[in-house]
Amino acid sequence: MAGRSDATGESAATGRVDALVESAGGRLDDLAAYFRERPRLRTLAVAGPPYATLVLFFAVPLLAMLVVSFQTGSIGGPWTLSNYAEFLGSEIYLTVVWRTLLVSLQVTAIVSIVGYALAYSIVRFSRRTTLLLLLVILPFWTSYIIRMYAWINILQSDGVLDSTLNAVGLPALGLLYSGPAVLIGFTYVWLPLAVLPFYASLTNMDPDLIEASKDLGAGPVRTFASVTLPTTINGVVTGVVLVFIPTFGSFITPRLLGGTNNIMIGMVIENQFKSAFNWPFGAAIGMVISVVVVALLVLGTRLGGGLFDTGGGEA
Amino acid sequence: MTGRLGGAVERAVQTHAARMAAAVVVLVMAFLWVPIAVLVFMSFAAGGVLSFPPDELTLRWYRVFLSNDAAIDAIVTTLTISIPATAISVVLSTMIAYAVDRYVFRGRDWLQLLATLPIIVPLVVTGVAMVLFFNGTLGLPDYVSVVIAHVIRTIPFATLVILPTFLTFDRGLEEASKDLGADELRTFRQVTLPNVFPGVVAGGLLAFTLSFNEFVYTYFVKGSGDPTLPVYIWNQIRYDVTPEVNVISVVFLLVAVSMVLVAVWLTRVDLLAKR
Repeated sequence: MAGRSDATGESAATGRVDALVESAGGRLDDLAAYFRERPRLRTLAVAGPPYATLVLFFAVPLLAMLVVSFQTGSIGGPWTLSNYAEFLGSEIYLTVVWRTLLVSLQVTAIVSIVGYALAYSIVRFSRRTTLLLLLVILPFWTSYIIRMYAWINILQSDGVLDSTLNAVGLPALGLLYSGPAVLIGFTYVWLPLAVLPFYASLTNMDPDLIEASKDLGAGPVRTFASVTLPTTINGVVTGVVLVFIPTFGSFITPRLLGGTNNIMIGMVIENQFKSAFNWPFGAAIGMVISVVVVALLVLGTRLGGGLFDTGGGEA
Repeated sequence: MTGRLGGAVERAVQTHAARMAAAVVVLVMAFLWVPIAVLVFMSFAAGGVLSFPPDELTLRWYRVFLSNDAAIDAIVTTLTISIPATAISVVLSTMIAYAVDRYVFRGRDWLQLLATLPIIVPLVVTGVAMVLFFNGTLGLPDYVSVVIAHVIRTIPFATLVILPTFLTFDRGLEEASKDLGADELRTFRQVTLPNVFPGVVAGGLLAFTLSFNEFVYTYFVKGSGDPTLPVYIWNQIRYDVTPEVNVISVVFLLVAVSMVLVAVWLTRVDLLAKR
């Protein structure tokens, strides 16, 4: 790409630019040659920057949180176990953890059943699967808060749901700020996310297995229970993990749809950082959540979820 | 499932399976899309308060929104974060995809794990960890912290989209290029990149969509400065509901839907599902 001079003749300037471009090009070739002879350095140059970014700005902050959770009052205070003692010794907080666990399990169960039924219906019985899948995942890409706001519109007293019920002569429910509202909100948010791994595992399944099962005289229900479900269990586990974990840490949905009677652990953390300003205590609660989540992940991968199998490499 | 009852159930399922499947699809689609339809509908409601059905339809709230400096500022703030964050995220994710696909090195599995983990660790935990480390320990300015947070948030999704395009790319083309004397850098620039470009752009679009909608990290990491649009909405919803939020929702929907449709058009939607 050297700047060729035009018919007006060579000015000194273009000559200099030419020389610069030449030498830059030469240098780039040298650089390429340098890397070609050093494959390990080449790998470092490509993998290093993203690696460093993820370690420094993702892994290290999580470790910093662990450190802070053992400090008192403010960051850099004296070492202590009091944050954990205060949390684990409080009946109120443990009740919140218990409620969070129950809600997360309920949400995971609902989303798994509905999501699997949907994925199964799309894969086995629908034409235009791509369009349907697109319709399922599109809502996932819209703002989480907006999606919660839509449900506020629907569930509040005199909202869309109650007006509709009244119109057909049924009593209003006034669901907003209740347990069911939280379940509906979570189901709405996570359903698209869970359908993806279900869909993937059902599509990748060998259809001959189903044929074989039917040839051996099993009906559709028995075929599903003894062939389809066991074969797609990896996808199920992945979906379960993808739903359970974010639900366990969520604060937006319970805050906007659950009100004061449905406090979840994520709300407690948010409160420590946004109103109480007790960061070490908030960090300790964050660690408690992480421990629960990691324990469940280990359990999940034991059950055989291909969670980290993002494709690639020699599987 | 034996005996006569089992047989009856099996036969019933056999007969009605297709109808049941159709019912499931219709019901779930309604569940997913009715709330969004409600939002769009409400943005044209004259009543202003959240009444349903609305008395009359109007464009008034769109005018209010367009003349509201706070909301417009929030959009600008969001863009000043999302655009650089997306650019950085796409470059890093492409490097991850290239390295994971091409090179065998120690720590490759760790790189994949690290690129996936931000999806898995609860957002609130990472958000809190970031505010402790970025603002507390490093003392970074808010803007830098938020951009970094958005990069971390979007890398997993961008990688998830970009990696398959590398995996399905025909290596023979690269071999040919190298046989013709091009080095790796030139081959990447002139052969690999043009071929994986649709996937890279799709990853970028999804990263941008995610960043534009990002709330949790931003909420924790960003101080009391100008709110991004999602944070602005959060404040609106919590303190006083205005019909304007309906309009902002429609804006969000349009951005998200158009971005994702382009991304899907560039790649294939099933790539998002086939991991």
